[in-house]
Amino acid sequence: MNIASKLPQPPASVDDREMISAKPPYLGFGLGLRAQHYDEILGGNPPIDWFEVISENYMLPGGQPLRVLDRIRERYPVVMHGVSLSIASTAPPNFEYLAGLKDLARRVEPKWISDHLCWTGVHGKNLHDLLPIPYTNEALDHVVSRVQLVQDYLGRAIVLENVSTYLQFNNSEMTEWEFLSELSRRSGCWLLFDVNNVYVSAFNHGYDPRTFLEGIPADRVVQFHLAGHSHMGTHIIDTHDHPVCNEVWDLYAAAIRRFGRVSTMIERDDNIPSLDELMLEVNQTREIAAQILPPIRREG
Amino acid sequence: MSDFARQQSDFQRGILSGDDKVLAEILDSPKEKREVLFGVYKYAYGSRLVEALRNDHKLLHSYVGDEMFDEIGQAYVAANPSQNPNLRWFSQGLPDFLKTASYGEYPILSDLAALEKALNDAFDAKDAPVVELADMAGFAPEAWNDLRFEAHPSSCRLDLSTNVAAVWLSLKEDEMPPDAVSLEQPARLLIWRQDVTPMFRELSAEEAMMWDEASGGIPFGVLCSMLATYDDPDGAAARGAGYLHGWITAGLLTGVSAEF
Repeated sequence: MNIASKLPQPPASVDDREMISAKPPYLGFGLGLRAQHYDEILGGNPPIDWFEVISENYMLPGGQPLRVLDRIRERYPVVMHGVSLSIASTAPPNFEYLAGLKDLARRVEPKWISDHLCWTGVHGKNLHDLLPIPYTNEALDHVVSRVQLVQDYLGRAIVLENVSTYLQFNNSEMTEWEFLSELSRRSGCWLLFDVNNVYVSAFNHGYDPRTFLEGIPADRVVQFHLAGHSHMGTHIIDTHDHPVCNEVWDLYAAAIRRFGRVSTMIERDDNIPSLDELMLEVNQTREIAAQILPPIRREG
Repeated sequence: MSDFARQQSDFQRGILSGDDKVLAEILDSPKEKREVLFGVYKYAYGSRLVEALRNDHKLLHSYVGDEMFDEIGQAYVAANPSQNPNLRWFSQGLPDFLKTASYGEYPILSDLAALEKALNDAFDAKDAPVVELADMAGFAPEAWNDLRFEAHPSSCRLDLSTNVAAVWLSLKEDEMPPDAVSLEQPARLLIWRQDVTPMFRELSAEEAMMWDEASGGIPFGVLCSMLATYDDPDGAAARGAGYLHGWITAGLLTGVSAEF
């Protein structure tokens, strides 16, 4: 018997697959959930529209983090944001990690699952960093196939974020925004537009961040990230340990004009201030959007 | 190997071993040399992993100070490249690492790391229902000899060779720790999570034996016979019941049954 003749045809196009591929819903203005704020959030129900959680922080056997998350998701919409998918790695995918991610998603029922367009290691090692890729056709074909595999495994379209990069490869054949656009079009993944990361990468590589913004298809963007960074003079490092700077607020306003109403959140990972201080930034995201977008009409 | 795969190998080797072959494929930026830009990734690798160790071992960090902790951290990172996608598990090998090489002559370091690791592991160990005292009332007196117990998944036993418990408590209270000393008999520690709080306490040799055997499935009647070899045989059953009472009120048991 010719086994090969019994094998399925090459992967179906994204529209033919049985999975959740609809555009994620608009959630409003959110915040990254951090352990320092657990008690205040559970005790005070602050007026935040939704929370983003770092998936790996809850991919644990049990204990307090998962119990807190269960209580938060009873009150707020939650999305899962990972740092270890390593979607652009040329090493085989870590299926144990994917199984853990799927288990967590079953428990949390997130509105969507996101990670980054990057790789974190090869040869069984993990560098725990969001590493850059060359924007080549070879890399694009590879990442498209990996996104399709992960989406099939999870049974849903994923959301991928542009990372801050500090260097560029000399073999790139297209821009980062062209790569992201093609990736989204071919794989069906949605895009998380990190406004700060665009600003950081544009400064580091010497292009206008608005060119990046104009190069991304408006209908594929489902989330904005806003964060702070550290300026080193000749380059900027994406540290997520400062308030959002004026230039990034300006770029956020430009992003709203281009992409429209997009779920937005403040992402602080280090030097984490009080919830009140972060609420000021969340409110600023809301106010800037309100100045640009027409109010939402409520029927009835 | 594809160009893309080869390039990732070279990039990773540059970060892990300092082999800068990949620089030939990296561009200078308008304002900075490629060596500096690649250096951002090289520096971030070591500093991020040492920071993860510092987060997991705050008291070891307090005990040895910034300089020595960074030295230990860098040595551990060099010897143990991370293989797990979740940074949570990177520090798991630190207690064993501290038994080796130049750190081995200071066993308090390994013991302190082992205690912190056990408490960290208890914090996010699997959840399970706990046995209540009322559950024990359901067993007829004649069934007690056959009772077997299941330890809570967060529980862990450590036999450590130093006065680590006293050192840990002082550091936790932000006080000057006592001098580290090696003990004639090991400190028998039981670590677990009560509700959401990691705990530990020191056990007598007798209670440690009973806990270890009970966790291994030995029934209560046999446990009492074993206790009788440690101290007053007539009081063995009462001592066994007393230990059991303490374990139940501390939330250390997740199952009890009279089935073989």
